[in-house]
Amino acid sequence: MMLMVQDLRVTFPLDGKTGLRAVDGVSFDLAPGTSLGIVGETGAGKTTIARALLGLHPPGCVQGSIRLDGRELVGLSEEAWRAIRWRRIALVPQSVGTALDPVYRVGDQIAEPLRYHLGLSPAEAWGRSLELARRVGLEPRHLRAYPHQLSGGEKQRALLAMALSCAPDVLVLDEPTSGQDMLSRARLLGLLDALRREGGMGLLVISHDLAVVARLTERVAVLYAGQLVEVGPTAEVFQDPRHPYTWGLLHAYPDMSTARDLRGIRGAPPDPANPPPGCRFHPRCTQAIDRCRREEPPLREIGGRWIACHLGGLQTLLRAEGLRKTFSVDGGEPEERVEAVREATLDIREGEVVALVGETGSGKTTLGQMLVGLLPPDGGRVVLEGRELTAARGKERRAMMSRIQLIPQDPFDAVSPRLTVAEMVREPLDIQGIGTPEEREAKVRQALRTVGLPASPDFLARRAHELSGGQLQRVVLARALVLEPKLIVADEPVSMLDPSEQARVINLLKEIQTERGLALLLISHDLALVRKIADRILVMHRGQIVEEGPGNRIVTRPEHEHTRMLLEAAPRLG
Amino acid sequence: MPGTFSPLEGERLSGNFHMRPLNGELGFGLILLALCSVVAVLAPVLAPYDPRAFSGQPLERPSRAHPLGTNDVGQDILSELIYGARVSLTVALAAGAGTVLLGLLVGGMAGYAGGWLDQALMRLVDGMLSLPRLPLLILFATFLGSGLPQTIAVISFLFWPTTARVVRAQVQSVRQRGYVRMARQFGASHLYVFLRHILPAIGPLIAYGLVTSAGQAVAMEAGLAFLGLGDPLVQSWGLMMRFALNLPGLFLTDRWLWWLLPPALCVTLLILALALMGIGLEQNLNPRLARRWR
Repeated sequence: MMLMVQDLRVTFPLDGKTGLRAVDGVSFDLAPGTSLGIVGETGAGKTTIARALLGLHPPGCVQGSIRLDGRELVGLSEEAWRAIRWRRIALVPQSVGTALDPVYRVGDQIAEPLRYHLGLSPAEAWGRSLELARRVGLEPRHLRAYPHQLSGGEKQRALLAMALSCAPDVLVLDEPTSGQDMLSRARLLGLLDALRREGGMGLLVISHDLAVVARLTERVAVLYAGQLVEVGPTAEVFQDPRHPYTWGLLHAYPDMSTARDLRGIRGAPPDPANPPPGCRFHPRCTQAIDRCRREEPPLREIGGRWIACHLGGLQTLLRAEGLRKTFSVDGGEPEERVEAVREATLDIREGEVVALVGETGSGKTTLGQMLVGLLPPDGGRVVLEGRELTAARGKERRAMMSRIQLIPQDPFDAVSPRLTVAEMVREPLDIQGIGTPEEREAKVRQALRTVGLPASPDFLARRAHELSGGQLQRVVLARALVLEPKLIVADEPVSMLDPSEQARVINLLKEIQTERGLALLLISHDLALVRKIADRILVMHRGQIVEEGPGNRIVTRPEHEHTRMLLEAAPRLG
Repeated sequence: MPGTFSPLEGERLSGNFHMRPLNGELGFGLILLALCSVVAVLAPVLAPYDPRAFSGQPLERPSRAHPLGTNDVGQDILSELIYGARVSLTVALAAGAGTVLLGLLVGGMAGYAGGWLDQALMRLVDGMLSLPRLPLLILFATFLGSGLPQTIAVISFLFWPTTARVVRAQVQSVRQRGYVRMARQFGASHLYVFLRHILPAIGPLIAYGLVTSAGQAVAMEAGLAFLGLGDPLVQSWGLMMRFALNLPGLFLTDRWLWWLLPPALCVTLLILALALMGIGLEQNLNPRLARRWR
């Protein structure tokens, strides 16, 4: 084991007593010839870790242990660190602009560590510099130039050549491709990848750029607010993120194969001077429970992955197993029976947007109604948050119903013509017996504002026939939101609206979904529409789910013939 | 076509209805009924005598003291007539309500629950409807005795099936409406759904049922009393007619004009009032439903 970091804590003094804990208990190791990525949002503490590995923090700030081949580095004198920097651990810093001294030629700066650390003569050092420059793709003329005469990409290469000059055991790359255009970035990545393969060097890549980490590393550690939340093999973590934060981070990342619009993680990273108690991610987490607010989750191994989550990672919110529904026409003959849904099985995870697409009559609506408990299935079961919805009765059923809401296709049918807007939106609260009448009124007004409707007395007193289709669908949405559900099943929620109103309502739905952290099952026949917001797409055909996969995969590389037909039939302009 | 869906169209298609302002029939019926009710309530004030008191000579002709004369035992006919309104209205209200309640219970349950319960209850209704009512009414009345409560019970028992059928049909239609099913989705109990959504939706239908059943009840009660199957101690219009007709040679003189005709007219007017209200309410209902009602 070459580099071992254990319980690394970095604290910056703020005002005498309090300190800012930028890195809090991070542990990882790096063997020769392997690579590790550390990803996280800006301010998560990535660069602080990099600087700690090079002893660049003021004495006393760093606690815990950093061992290189068994030798403890924390607490070394500046003198001792100097022997380690460049020779054993080298850093390619993030800020290319300031890392090079503007008054010296680039070549001299690359040669400097060679002379200083390896004791080479100026001529020998220059010769090595030329060789290094060639390796990183620089020409001799670049070495004779001053830093300001080089482009950003060339400067980055020069810095890389400097870092490689003493053949370090560990190379730390801090945002290796920031500020580079895509082409020079691709060349640089190819170079780094080659370096990693040929040398027995350990590579630590620190980046918020997931593509860089995916390209360069074998393992990845996800850093959130100074703590690791998930560690595992890079390909597996990116393919199947388990921690809610990793999941959100991956879904916020733009990618050439993503057809969907980007989604953010709700909220903002915590202030490092004042982190939230318990799990640091809980204010932004869609599945946080009480324990998450009180107790810090330890990083523990769950199914081959290290995850810091009390719940063991992303939870399955709703699971349907082998759902069946048969409708008999006129009560009678077996040949007149319609198998609307045949053995449908699906999962919806916390905070996920899943689209269920299929042509009219494929059983989408029937399946949706069984999922929310409106229609009893003939076979199979629906499990919501670990409890069986299909078997729930009485109080238990009432409680479970508040967790899952349906937005039906026809808003005109979904509200009583006898009730006012206020009564419609308040009805779920009345049924569930939540709050005092005043609190209910307040919740109603808040829900109406959330969906962009006025909460004026005049509007509250209106009835269904006085509203437009778009307004009514928003009222239905507000009504679904007052109970603060975990999952909304929206059955063709915009098909009865005109196109501009469709776009507004879909955007609103998506916005609320992200903000509230709820899961959304969007039932639609319109692939063009759902690909914009769906994380995952299920394709239904004749009562069965025939294809399932990430939205981009379904849209770009459909496997089932029916999916291809749906794609071809999707509307196009021109 | 998206965006062009009319809510009114949806309402009409789904068999829902709103109360419209009063129409002529409903208004006229209401006035007649109100008149009758005022008379019934103010009977002690309006009636010149206690209807049971022997306030004059038997069979007096109309005079200032007895505007409609007296009957064969010397009781004031006008006072009898005025107090008789109370009996008829009580029967109308109680039997009408009884009919509607039973019909609502059976029809509501059948329509809401569906399945085997619906089948069983509807076969029962079919059975009840196939029975001849009047002979059965006479049979029951004879059997159960002749008190007013018995009369009311018998009428309610015989007339609920019609209401049950109509209620069931409407409940079946309303139950499938999105907002009713959505209420279940919010976790509502069946009782809540029934009381909060189904009942208001079939409200106008219930009003219509109440009015028509009440009219039938008035006629039935009068008929029973006329046949001597009513309570001989409760002086209803039917009983008055019976006593009048019992007098041998009633039609030989003009006595029938003030003894037989007034109660007969009163019964007719009350039934007319209720029937007019029924017609008025019917016009507010879905035409398809109104046809089914008959």
